[in-house]
Amino acid sequence: MIGIVLISHGGLAAGLRDAAEMITGEIDQLECISLQPMDDIDQLVDRIQEAVKKVDVGEGALLLVDLFGASPFNACGRLALAQQDRYELVTGMNLPMLVELVVQREGLTIKEASQIAFEAGKSGVSRLSDKI
Amino acid sequence: MPVTHIRMDNRLIHGQILVSWNSALNIDHLIVTNDKVAEDPMQVTLLKAVTPIGVKVSVLPIKECVEYCLSPEAEEENIFVITKFPEDGLALIENGLSIDTLNLGNQAFVRGAKKLSNSVYLTEEGVKALKKIHEKGINLTCRMLPKDSKSEFWPVIEKNFPE
Repeated sequence: MIGIVLISHGGLAAGLRDAAEMITGEIDQLECISLQPMDDIDQLVDRIQEAVKKVDVGEGALLLVDLFGASPFNACGRLALAQQDRYELVTGMNLPMLVELVVQREGLTIKEASQIAFEAGKSGVSRLSDKI
Repeated sequence: MPVTHIRMDNRLIHGQILVSWNSALNIDHLIVTNDKVAEDPMQVTLLKAVTPIGVKVSVLPIKECVEYCLSPEAEEENIFVITKFPEDGLALIENGLSIDTLNLGNQAFVRGAKKLSNSVYLTEEGVKALKKIHEKGINLTCRMLPKDSKSEFWPVIEKNFPE
């Protein structure tokens, strides 16, 4: 099974995990990383690599970050670009994205998992007035 | 004056720049300048990948950044320059770029650095460069976000690093 690493500004990553586990129960092969104002970006890259090692059992890992172009994205980008067959980076992490991924992840390749996360994240945003 | 803002920020282009500074200053050209970064093709690719709509991104060594900013091509632009360290800021000035203010964005904690704000930690080496900038009559500010105070930051640095 592919691993998942959530990387966010502040406590969003840990908060998202907490929220998702209320829905899916405890989530395995998942690590959370929080970026704080004082943090060094090179160290953030090291922390991401350590987290990836923990969750990647050989099938790769999906990296989810909160904001396109921001520091968590930049720190993951190098890893994702260097080993594109093993890691995928999806931005705009949200609860629909994470729960869908957790529910479906068994048996998926990294490419399939990233596609599911991407679609679920986008379709998870809606407006009530469009639905009635 | 094509260069409207020079920011010294280890994180280079990131959320605060893309969201807050871009909307406050209407940037049309973001130039990241640091000799090492400009030599790293993967980092250049990543920096260019985050270009917001309507903003051009360049990654240049210090000398080329100054040359560009003084060129006729730059005259029509609203340029936001991001350097990595205070030493880069000083190098821009020493290579002929003129500006009245340099801003300290994020400077991460490194061994031996002293805390000046939640996101700015300075080393003795960095302070040496900032002192030279100050002695050239250039203002120093410490603004993580556009809403932060534009007040002169040198007295705070001096107080924390007495000679």
